[in-house]
Amino acid sequence: MIVTVTLNPAVDKMYWVEGLKMCDVTQEEFLTRAIRSSTSAGGKGVNVSVLLSRLGMDNVAMGFVGGHTGHVVVRDLRDEGVTTNFVWTHGETRANVTLLQVGREHSPNLINEAGPTILPDEINRFMRRYRRMLARATWVVLGGSLPPGVDPGIYNEMTRMAKDAGAKVILTTGGEALTRALEACPYIVKPDTREHMTLEGKGLTTVDEIVEAGKHVIACGAEIVIISHDVTGDIAITRDNVWEINAEVNTSRFKNLVGADDVFLGGILYKLSQDAALEEALRFGLAAGLASAESEEKICRNMAVIEEGMKDVTVTNL
Amino acid sequence: MKVRDIMTRDLTAVEKDIPVRELIFILNNAEMPNVPVVDEDGKLTGFVSEKDLIRAALPGYFEMLHSTSFIPDMNQLSRKLTSIADEPIEKFIQTTVMSVTEDDDDLQAADLIIRKGVKNVPVVDADGRLVGRVRRIDLLRHFL
Repeated sequence: MIVTVTLNPAVDKMYWVEGLKMCDVTQEEFLTRAIRSSTSAGGKGVNVSVLLSRLGMDNVAMGFVGGHTGHVVVRDLRDEGVTTNFVWTHGETRANVTLLQVGREHSPNLINEAGPTILPDEINRFMRRYRRMLARATWVVLGGSLPPGVDPGIYNEMTRMAKDAGAKVILTTGGEALTRALEACPYIVKPDTREHMTLEGKGLTTVDEIVEAGKHVIACGAEIVIISHDVTGDIAITRDNVWEINAEVNTSRFKNLVGADDVFLGGILYKLSQDAALEEALRFGLAAGLASAESEEKICRNMAVIEEGMKDVTVTNL
Repeated sequence: MKVRDIMTRDLTAVEKDIPVRELIFILNNAEMPNVPVVDEDGKLTGFVSEKDLIRAALPGYFEMLHSTSFIPDMNQLSRKLTSIADEPIEKFIQTTVMSVTEDDDDLQAADLIIRKGVKNVPVVDADGRLVGRVRRIDLLRHFL
């Protein structure tokens, strides 16, 4: 059983607009009408869960939800066929807003809320439920930012618990939560570099910097480190190999980049959980991420499109 | 059709040692009229509902409802609920609980819900661990 954890899930609201002017607007400009909009459950683990479910793989999504938006998240996941196992909190689940200018969808603007403050009792309730779930878990995905009130060391503790239970851990987060969790040696690490192109305080701008930082994490005990290089390329580092994964794709074809990175990771997990080789998993993952980026829908559902897209992906041993 | 095709895949459940106050919070926020009780392995061990709490706070309430002259004493309900709010739910749990498995026929779940008059039936795996539930609305959706 695959278990995904999103401690700070969200309702993703996306608006496609012709343009958006902020500040110093005229009477005619203060109202911006959306050409299209969409609402869906979001958050890193949630996005992985939805992809897996769409590919026909049973999984359980865990985390905290609360209020009206919490019900939207749970309802959306159930409609997708994901098994839900959330702890209800006193606060309201956050809403994240994405603004996409038509014709320039490859460069969206995101407004992410911090999320509700989680109370100590709610954290204890969640950890008890998480411990129970680990008895059935083979893979655990720990993804996304932490809501206020949650200690940055929680992913470290959760990684240790999962490993003790015999599950492999995939970690995708950033900041102190990432740094602290690395000490527990997750199986796969994918740093969230959207805000800071750094890992353990080191820059991740050039290929050499990425490889060096990845090798350091591998030396600390992780098995695979995957770091985004650019929109259509990533670098994967293992104990024995360094791979560059690239796709020959025109970014002007992108319609919605939200969640594409999570789909990439979900695609890798989909293949690895079926004992595929890492190279094949990387190729499938990037093809799935690109298929999502090229569809208006946040997460692709068409396996044929993903498999067709694998032809555009190259995995090169550096 | 099998139960797996119509069930709600949700693992919301409680442990027998949580206080009544927490149970009410969960029932309210998850919008569930009742909730399965599980042990530390996730195995189904019981069931507890809003009705069980009302019965605990106002013993005989449901029997007295049959009398047209009965007027519930809301002050008594409030006082009693307050007095048991921090007690573990263990003593209010129904330990005889019906369940179905994912491989059972949908009609088996429908039969339990309709014949026994329950709002939902827990679904368990071969080891007795909770994997979801079949609600009345799942049946209605399914059979429409």
